Amino acid sequence: MIQSIAQKEFVSTLRDRRFVVLSALVLALLLAATLVGRASFRTLQQERHLAQQTVNDQFRNQPARHPHRVAHYGSFAFRPKSGLSLLDSGVDSFTGSAVYLEAHQQNSVNFSQAQQSGSLIRFGEMTVAFVLQLLVPLLIIFLCFGAFTQERETGTLKLLLSQGITLRQVAWGKIRGYSQAVALVVAPALLLAAALLFTGEEFASNADLLARLALFGLSYALYFFLFVVGSVVVSARQASSRAALVTLLGLWILGGIILPKATANLGASLYPTITKAQLDAEVHEQAQHGVNGHDPQDKRAAELKAGLLKKYGVDSEEKLPVSVAGLQMAAGEEYSARVYQQHFAALNATYEKQNRLSDWAGLLNPYQAMRPLSMGLAGSDFAHYVHFQQAAEAYRYGLVQRLNHLQAGMGYGDKERRLDAHTWQELPVFSYQAPPLSWALPRLLLPVAALLLWAGGLSWLGLRLISKTTVA
Amino acid sequence: MRVFRILFSYEWRHFRAAKGLVLLCSLLLATGLYSIYYGTTEIERQRQHLATLPELTRRNVEELQVKFPGPADAGDIGYYHTTFAVHHPDAWAALSLGLRDVNPSYVKLRLLGLHNQLYAADNTNPMKTLSGNFDLAFVLVYLLPLLIIALSFNLLSAEREEGILTLLLAQPIRPATVIGAKLAFRTALVLGLAGLLSVVGMGWAQVPLDGRVLSWLALTTLYCLFWFGVVLVVTALHRSSAVNAVALLGAWLLLVVLVPSLLNLGVAAARPVPQGIELTIKQREEIHAGWDRPKTQTMNRFFALYPQWRDTATIRERFVWRWYYAFQHLGDQAVAREAAAYATGLQQRYDLVEKLNLLSPAINAQSSLNALAGSDLPTHLAFQRSVTRYHDSLRAFYYPFLFRKVEFTHADYAREPRHTFTSTPELPTAWRGLGKLLLSVVVVYSLGLVLLTRRPVAAS
Repeated sequence: MIQSIAQKEFVSTLRDRRFVVLSALVLALLLAATLVGRASFRTLQQERHLAQQTVNDQFRNQPARHPHRVAHYGSFAFRPKSGLSLLDSGVDSFTGSAVYLEAHQQNSVNFSQAQQSGSLIRFGEMTVAFVLQLLVPLLIIFLCFGAFTQERETGTLKLLLSQGITLRQVAWGKIRGYSQAVALVVAPALLLAAALLFTGEEFASNADLLARLALFGLSYALYFFLFVVGSVVVSARQASSRAALVTLLGLWILGGIILPKATANLGASLYPTITKAQLDAEVHEQAQHGVNGHDPQDKRAAELKAGLLKKYGVDSEEKLPVSVAGLQMAAGEEYSARVYQQHFAALNATYEKQNRLSDWAGLLNPYQAMRPLSMGLAGSDFAHYVHFQQAAEAYRYGLVQRLNHLQAGMGYGDKERRLDAHTWQELPVFSYQAPPLSWALPRLLLPVAALLLWAGGLSWLGLRLISKTTVA
Repeated sequence: MRVFRILFSYEWRHFRAAKGLVLLCSLLLATGLYSIYYGTTEIERQRQHLATLPELTRRNVEELQVKFPGPADAGDIGYYHTTFAVHHPDAWAALSLGLRDVNPSYVKLRLLGLHNQLYAADNTNPMKTLSGNFDLAFVLVYLLPLLIIALSFNLLSAEREEGILTLLLAQPIRPATVIGAKLAFRTALVLGLAGLLSVVGMGWAQVPLDGRVLSWLALTTLYCLFWFGVVLVVTALHRSSAVNAVALLGAWLLLVVLVPSLLNLGVAAARPVPQGIELTIKQREEIHAGWDRPKTQTMNRFFALYPQWRDTATIRERFVWRWYYAFQHLGDQAVAREAAAYATGLQQRYDLVEKLNLLSPAINAQSSLNALAGSDLPTHLAFQRSVTRYHDSLRAFYYPFLFRKVEFTHADYAREPRHTFTSTPELPTAWRGLGKLLLSVVVVYSLGLVLLTRRPVAAS
């Protein structure tokens, strides 16, 4: 019986002109978003790849220079787009794409797309994730709001129940039928997106990407299922189709538009952060307690020099086999980098606290569970961004320290000399490896749990509610 | 007219009895008040942040005075001394934050090359900027239409579905009066709400009471009227409540969500902006090559730009500051074209959106409110231009010290030029927006009236 109810809903949905028009629209949008996503992914990826190669080549082909000059010349790190970011670009448009890596200081990641888009980007971006997270649920609501109310309004519900089946069974039948209809719209689009993803030569089909994509599809299936169940439950509990539709749309607006903004803004108000200018000033203040390589009058620098003289058993700087300035630079860098690290860790911890509020809201609002999960799987969430920042900093620190040690090895009077041009070719260039799924998954436990809780809770509680509703 | 008044007052009684609608209006009111609270605290926080900057400069000067107790080489000061160019918000920005969270509100400057300092981002949480601001403009542009839809999607259809319309039309009343009274009641309610929120917001944000108050109210009113015009069009189609709801929400989705995001894609494709990163890479290359070039070559290029320093002493030292700052400046000069192209590229994008925003009154309203509040892209570009001028004046201040070898004394810190920039409204943009909104309003009402005369109201 459940089977035939499901069959009936599926067939009548397909015959409904409104549904056909709406789903054609959603499909077209999904397709457009995939193609646009791929195009913009390619341009951005190419731009950044090219820029990274340019700066790497420039670095390798430097003339003979003093190593500390090279440390100030520095390098750039460009954040490559993750493969799945063409489906969900997450925070990518709001983070910068390039960071300048130089001696003595950690710079901000600059040039975000949002800065180049004007106010338009604030209305939302047309991405696959946007269609899947907000528009498909809307389609589901339009599809299912009359599930019970219509039967009740036409009096067919009584007829159905007189056949000896329970309300719960009717509900399951409807849920199955609607789910099939939704799958018919979304599945081809997702498959097409996957095909596009794997035919592009830039994605060698690797297991990690495949697993991410599979989980991506699975979690969206769960998300849509949630909306089907929720809409059917609301439809059963409301007196009229109109009331059911208005309730569902109200919930959609609350969950999809108002709550995410409100929690993000509330988080920022609850956990304030300091500006980059203040952070830099604090770092500078603290770093003064370390060795300052550029200041020959620095007391600690003098102590370091005295220690070296003692260690090598010589009485003057000229006789040292190493350059005091180089070692002072290295010690100063070590200290200032540590201070920066502490401050940036504190800053990122504050951001994470701000974002946590939104993640916990996922328990109240499935959209806020799906959004971080989707971004996390696509590799475009805040955690992945921080991973890049840290990789860039690790490279910067390693590079500067190598250069400082090259300087130290030059011995006394290094400032008048330069190292040969081929020295720079032996230094490693920046190349970024995005973290694997196994790194991302533990960070996504809360949204995953929230989504599962929603699906389980709603199916259980919702169906109990349905079986208790009045038929007439 | 009497009939109209009776209908109007009955609508009021109806409204009071409908708990859901009262709840919805109270919810919008509460959301609006939160948005005002959020906007004002956000601007207050930005103000506080900006207020700490002079203190940072003061501490920096103190430190330098300890480091260089006597008269110093101005080159050292220029290198270690930081100062800030600040972009103060206009009081209106609290009601329409615009791009103030995406773009930094200050630039930290040293005497070095400008372009690797000009684009530095501030600390921001990208998750927060992704979610966007919850300011009054958002409530008015994004949420108010939804309230309008919720209040009026069943304007006539509910009467028909409940069988009241037959009774109503049996009376000696023109159907147009019925629709007019119903629309007028809802318009009064929504405009009252929007007006109340706007006035509360203006008081809370302590905006100066100038012509912008009227512009803001006019923009809000026209935007609300536009949505009531859409309601009129949909009502005139005489469909069921459910179809009306779908149609109105579809219109909202189209105008508030889809058109802006598609336009964003279109504009990005039509006006590709030369990547800012290219210019910073090129500038770095130029500046660092300065170390390796013969000093006379660098200085001759510099003197071509600043002939007034040509008679200064020839450089024979291994390192001297005036040569260092000369090649820093030449690095900026080398990318002047790219920098201009970057700024004009952004401006062109903005201009294109300005042209196309007739497609969506929502974009139009948002950009007009931002323009009124001076929180949009043109203001940021104006700020960047003022930073460039400030950098010029800093160099002009330091050059005599560097080239005439004047010693930098403690008293000279106070003589250093200061920078301040406060957003100014782009009134022409706001007025153009007002005109375009008026046009949209006229178009929807004409369409609605034509439909109504073609398909008169019938009971079934």
